[in-house]
Amino acid sequence: MRKIAVIPAYNEERTIESVVRGVQEYVDIVLVVDDGSTDRTPMLAEAAGAKVIRHVENSGSGAATMTGVQAARILGADIVITLDADEQHDPHDIPLLLQPAEDGSADIVFANRFGRRNLIPFIRCLFNAIGNIITFTATGRWVADSQCGFKVFGPRAVRELNIRMSGFEFCTEIVRESVQHKWRMAQIPVKVIYSEYTLAKGQSFAGGVKTALKILLRSFIR
Amino acid sequence: MTITAYQILAPLASIVAILYAWSLVFRHRKTVWEASIWTIFWCGIAAIAISPDLLQHLTKVTGVQKRENAVFVSSIGILFFIVFYLVMRLEELEQRQTRIVRKMALKDVEERAEKQ
Repeated sequence: MRKIAVIPAYNEERTIESVVRGVQEYVDIVLVVDDGSTDRTPMLAEAAGAKVIRHVENSGSGAATMTGVQAARILGADIVITLDADEQHDPHDIPLLLQPAEDGSADIVFANRFGRRNLIPFIRCLFNAIGNIITFTATGRWVADSQCGFKVFGPRAVRELNIRMSGFEFCTEIVRESVQHKWRMAQIPVKVIYSEYTLAKGQSFAGGVKTALKILLRSFIR
Repeated sequence: MTITAYQILAPLASIVAILYAWSLVFRHRKTVWEASIWTIFWCGIAAIAISPDLLQHLTKVTGVQKRENAVFVSSIGILFFIVFYLVMRLEELEQRQTRIVRKMALKDVEERAEKQ
């Protein structure tokens, strides 16, 4: 099975090289979708061995993820792994996440940062809990860590996935897609590494409110 | 009891909206959950139209008892609808821009894949 990793990245020159190198041993191709970075992110990703796709304008992590998935389809991917470029996910967890997709027991595998004893700041736990509740309200499906960017899409999900939301709200849309297409779901506890850099990269409170409003509005008017 | 045109039209509009929502479910464009929320909303609109006395409970909560206040609240409703419409238009534009950016990004990948 051809496995492709999709890493959406926006101004991640500090971490992109190590993320690409860490993922390489578990997949056939590493695709970095540079979402209009103004720093050296695309050059460093390429130097580390990734294929780089460039957005001419910053369009949001949802848009970058969908671009990556479409590129992976063109390159013949059977399985797509998505993960963040800020080093918060441990690439050693990839085989664990791949297993349900490879043995055909799940179409989509969600990583669960809260399923293990991870050192997660309280504010992050709170934001994620709110995100989970909003996702459940909008989709009717409970996912323990709906807002995590670390996911594996099996062959069926790779074929059927269609993300229309551009920003962080795409995580909720993926859960909606799993309901819409009746994908079988698995949730695997993973390690998470929060550094000052990772925390600075996260959504602000205002950004979170905007995301929540967009999700609710979208689910209503769709 | 006299029946007004609104009391006939609003429930009819609600039925159309509910049928439309469930037709979207059968066409796989809406989930059962979304259609259920939509159904509850339109059932509420129809119920209020058929039995406006239900709003008495609302007046107790909101304090809207005079006609002037009703006009004021209705104006807010209309403004809300306009904002809602504008947000939808903005969303459409954002999606259009994303599609253009994506097409440009994928062009290179397609060309490379064709060469291989």
